[in-house]
Amino acid sequence: MVASSGSTSSRRSAGRLNAPRPALVETGPGATPRVVNRESVTLVREEWRVVDRWWTDDPVDRHYFEVVLEGGRNVCVYRDAEAQCWFTQNA
Amino acid sequence: MVACLLIPGFELRAALRARPRLALVPAALAPEAGEEPLLGPITTAAEAAGVKPGMRLGEALATCPSLVLVDRDPAAVEREWEDVLRRLEDAGFAVDPVEQGAVVFETHGVERLYGGVQPALARALAAVGSAWDPRIGAASRRFTALAAASVARPGQILLVAAKEEEAFLEPLPLSLLPMTPNRYAELEGLGLRSLGELAQLPAGAVAERLGVEGRQAQRLARGGRKTRVRGRKPASELVEALTFPEAIANELTLRRALGSLLERLLARPERAGRPFRKLALVARLVDGGSWRRVTTLRDATAEVGRLRSALGPKLQELPAPIVELRVEAVELAEHTGQQLALVEPAGEEAVVRLREGLRQVRASTGTGSVCAVVEVAPWSRVPEARALVVPRDD
Repeated sequence: MVASSGSTSSRRSAGRLNAPRPALVETGPGATPRVVNRESVTLVREEWRVVDRWWTDDPVDRHYFEVVLEGGRNVCVYRDAEAQCWFTQNA
Repeated sequence: MVACLLIPGFELRAALRARPRLALVPAALAPEAGEEPLLGPITTAAEAAGVKPGMRLGEALATCPSLVLVDRDPAAVEREWEDVLRRLEDAGFAVDPVEQGAVVFETHGVERLYGGVQPALARALAAVGSAWDPRIGAASRRFTALAAASVARPGQILLVAAKEEEAFLEPLPLSLLPMTPNRYAELEGLGLRSLGELAQLPAGAVAERLGVEGRQAQRLARGGRKTRVRGRKPASELVEALTFPEAIANELTLRRALGSLLERLLARPERAGRPFRKLALVARLVDGGSWRRVTTLRDATAEVGRLRSALGPKLQELPAPIVELRVEAVELAEHTGQQLALVEPAGEEAVVRLREGLRQVRASTGTGSVCAVVEVAPWSRVPEARALVVPRDD
């Protein structure tokens, strides 16, 4: 097996801060999050859309939801319309 | 170009240097004491007998009853590997070791010296010597170079042009990716067999199904990032050794021997007053094997008492009586003294102390581990585009 080429080299290159992380989200009516990472959503506080860089090869089309989970945590999740999947991120 | 020089089964080869006869018979590196009984690298004769690296010990002995188990010799491996690296450095290559048996370097700086990429890499092979069966892969990216080296034959130089990298990686097996066995099994369960098949999957789906590890693996399957290779800082050559007339296991004797070695090491003029940052304790075991532990000191020091308390407890981990004890200074600090403050440090002094603290972090975790946050587009609507984490090696 080849050793991780990322072990030394990738740590040396610049990385993005606050990169999105994949999230497991179950949706309810109106495609709003109902369960985030196996924790129920008690309140959807806010929602907004970010459409940007549509003129590039890497367009951004995200539907963000700021939700409060059962445990009391505030979490921001979004559905990526390009990748068709959910991510969490501190927006 | 980024080149990778690979010596498969380096640990076994290094351990067999003292017993070359075993290289011709079915032999394998014994499992580490206290670890799962899985075989390490094996000889060609063992491979011909049906033994595979990573096989369970019981299964391997049932397959090949004449299999010889070679004891691990970490001290010899470290010594031989350092020797290989120094020979490459003497030939003008700024090397960045990945692990024992794999090293990467840039050819850019020496291409004109040797008359091109191919002659430069041929020089690297010659510098290492044919006894190790080295092979070289070169490409514009680090992972592709590693992959090329792993499929090259002994003594071969495999160059992959930038435009052919994708096609080159496509048919290669997934086992080239640095992943856990469970992850391989998961990918195989999904019907994936080659790097090309993984690379073609949608990135979002891979991230959702396989998480961060899967995303990294897919990034590598697509060639990985283009990164510069930086040469290592050569290790310090301060070593003191003590050979015992008979095998020693008594802790008091061992501690006295350690104290004596530390005093001799501290008296070496090459140290030029600099305190130690990182030390290695090496022992030759009575049965022929060896043992090595590396310690990074929280605070660089040249006080024998503090060095004793940092290294002394390691002696309890010795697995057998020893016939030789060695202390190696792996890294020395740059400053020669430290004056304690009467009042809280501020201004320039605080900066110096902070820098020293960061140096310690780097010494124990490697370069690139200390980063700074740089705002690049704080106005951006895309959160991850607002700031970057940039390594600070100054």
